[in-house]
Amino acid sequence: MPVRFLRNASELADVSWETPLPVQVTNARPVPADTLLVATTTVTDANRDLLGSTATELPTLDGCMQYRKLVWFYFRSGAAATTYRVLARATDHNGAPLGAGWITLATGTLPGEANTWGRIEIPASGDGYYDQYRIEVWRTAGSNYDLTSKIVGVR
Amino acid sequence: MTPKVCLVMREFSSFNRAWTQILRNLGIDYTMCVTTGSATGASIQTPQGVFAAGSADLRNYFRQFDAVILCDNTGNLALTSLINYSVFWLRWNDTEDPAFLFFNPHFSAAITDSGYNSNFPSDFPIVRPNPSDIAGTLYPADGGSAGSTSPLVAAGTAGRGACVLFLAENIRAHVMTICNTHTNNIPYYWRLDTAKHSALANAAYTHRVARNGRAGEILAVPAPPTSSEDTETYPSDCVVAYRYRNIFWLPHAMHRRQDAADDRNPFLFWLLYGLQLAGVRPRYKLPVQIETDHPLQAVGTGAPFNHAITTQMGILEASWDWMRDFARRKNTAIVNGLVVGTKYRLTGTVYHWHLLYSTSRTQAERDAAMRVHQILVAGHREGTTPCGVHDHTIGTNGYWGGSTAAGFVRHSGLRYGAPNDVPIARGNSCVAPHVLPAGVAGADAQTVQVGDTELVEWDIPTSGTGTTFDLPAGSVHAARIIIESEIEEMLALGFPDGYCAGHKYTNTAANNSGGECYWQALKEFGFRGVRSAPECNAPYRTKRVTPNRYWNGFHLVPPKNLDNVDDSYSWGLYYPGAPAERHAVGTYRLDHGGDISANWTTQPVAAWRAYRRVLCQLTSRWLSTTAVALGGAYFHPIHCLMPVSPSRVLERFDGWNILNAANQPHYNHPVELLENMDAVVRLLPDVLYWGTITDVMDHRERVMG
Repeated sequence: MPVRFLRNASELADVSWETPLPVQVTNARPVPADTLLVATTTVTDANRDLLGSTATELPTLDGCMQYRKLVWFYFRSGAAATTYRVLARATDHNGAPLGAGWITLATGTLPGEANTWGRIEIPASGDGYYDQYRIEVWRTAGSNYDLTSKIVGVR
Repeated sequence: MTPKVCLVMREFSSFNRAWTQILRNLGIDYTMCVTTGSATGASIQTPQGVFAAGSADLRNYFRQFDAVILCDNTGNLALTSLINYSVFWLRWNDTEDPAFLFFNPHFSAAITDSGYNSNFPSDFPIVRPNPSDIAGTLYPADGGSAGSTSPLVAAGTAGRGACVLFLAENIRAHVMTICNTHTNNIPYYWRLDTAKHSALANAAYTHRVARNGRAGEILAVPAPPTSSEDTETYPSDCVVAYRYRNIFWLPHAMHRRQDAADDRNPFLFWLLYGLQLAGVRPRYKLPVQIETDHPLQAVGTGAPFNHAITTQMGILEASWDWMRDFARRKNTAIVNGLVVGTKYRLTGTVYHWHLLYSTSRTQAERDAAMRVHQILVAGHREGTTPCGVHDHTIGTNGYWGGSTAAGFVRHSGLRYGAPNDVPIARGNSCVAPHVLPAGVAGADAQTVQVGDTELVEWDIPTSGTGTTFDLPAGSVHAARIIIESEIEEMLALGFPDGYCAGHKYTNTAANNSGGECYWQALKEFGFRGVRSAPECNAPYRTKRVTPNRYWNGFHLVPPKNLDNVDDSYSWGLYYPGAPAERHAVGTYRLDHGGDISANWTTQPVAAWRAYRRVLCQLTSRWLSTTAVALGGAYFHPIHCLMPVSPSRVLERFDGWNILNAANQPHYNHPVELLENMDAVVRLLPDVLYWGTITDVMDHRERVMG
């Protein structure tokens, strides 16, 4: 007695080499990386995170403990001198930060001229596994410009 | 029983990957063996050991296969050695031995290897080609003109013509056929030693592949002309395919080149035919289907044909009526990409919607167009001519063919009512939900998923409630707006859907499928796949399709154009003085040594030569798309049909006996092309069947994993 199953909603098919039982593979993502953020930020002389927030306690990304590293790709439309700062911290099991403030993972001048690309690894060496990150940018000269960012989390 | 063949080659550096891709698509297992040289002393390196070419060990090894295939060939008859090692196999004729398939074999009289010459069977009935006496040993084929390069390297263009008569099947078909060629770049057919053939044909022989129970059998010859105009005839001892016991002597099948396996293998009919002759019964047959773009459209009314719009519509009506009937008889579906978007966004009066409803058209023109349209609608509902969206109105280049569709016009009214204020571009802020801090997302936040990536977007640019705005093309929001308007137009035209009914497929405009955001939106609208070029948003050119052409269960079917013209509408098989891109011979570079253009008005045979070459070239493109690429071949009906006689639309080609409106030979491209492919399908019942694009996508899932 052959084993049969419903194929294409209406067709009764025998299980065979040509028509195997339909299965769905779960948890089989081949690349251990996720797109975490895509955002366009207007870079001004005020300190803002990539989502435009000036609230210094507000994380840009939360729940990131599963990620060994974040990779920040960006395209900047302007050449104005810009300072960036990457902050991180851990939270408890409720998601509450262990304390106020942040660990500064990196700070410096954002590399690149107008209409150029950049890539920054967070952290630059070693592993992250922080729960929260805040990534801030502000220009120190010149005019406002748009900074388009993508952040990938790598497990 | 699992079909299994052995491929023998000299080296991988010139091994065409199409050999194995075709076998994979047919579900035929294969083993590859590399020779240590080309002489009779060469050994064959098999997975089970290295055997001398004439050894009993090799013979026993070969007996596990349904067929042994020799992959090497040459365009130089003066070579003294190429597959000399195979001469022993010509004598392995017992019932336990496999069939041997020799394609464009090198058995020239120039071979000086005594081991070869002494072992070559004395009763072999095909005259060995002699480069010093070509006229006495071979017959020049296809007019005997020399090409600018070896005819063996023809790919998508520069093909040679042949009409072949298959004797046992009693079927005539136009298939690219070259038995041998030489450095003079002339294609040749073989000369038969009739006395030897007679002896073989009268000798009883038992082998599973000897279907007539005789030791020798002529399989195929050049087909005799059907018109007195066609003076390209061949002597009665001219053959193109022969069975000598269990050995099949067949024309060229595959060019030697190391390249991606693609649809540039115009001779592959002979591989498929050889496999069938050898009794290699594939696990899977390959579905044959055809698509059209712009099934209802008009072109200019000027010279050379001066066809009025009503005349053009009459040509389309007769041809579509025939194609619908053909699809019904053959159980296939001719899938059509119907130009939409013109209801709202394009003011030209040659497209589908305007031909039906524009008041700038006369009532007679609109009525004539409606008759074509009704055939398509009826065919859509019955499954013979299913239609899907095909939108040239977004910058004229299909999905994401430009960065922004300036002045984009949304649909309005009908079942959708007044336009809503909807997102038209990616939000300025997009964060994966599982890392989104609480309280950050704006009030307009919404979750957007494209493939595996899910983001929460906010600060999203929106359309407002107006109907006209500049639409950035690169987001799932834009894709949804565009596709929704296309579906709305299909419904307004009387179709029940916009994705070819149950096939859930369409031919994208300009073969631009847009990229992930469009594939995602198409999936949301119920599509299973679309036709797509590798560069899927040309000329913007920021995207390519995924390498396996399969994205999250969504098919990106490779395209192949079969028009008989390169630019605008066709002026015919050939048209004196016209730019090359306006006729088929020029488009496909089929005028070898000027043997068509120089003789067009003085020798009627030139038109028949053009007819043969065009059919061979385009059938081979279609067959390659079917067997190698598992793709979608298509043509534009109105662009191909202008060279027909408006009073005898469905007549078959008859040279200068039937003229079109420009006093050139009448030629109905769809009728000729489909009938020729039908002859090929009837010749290959073990390999091909008339199917649908659903069968193609099913088969892609079956063999591509």
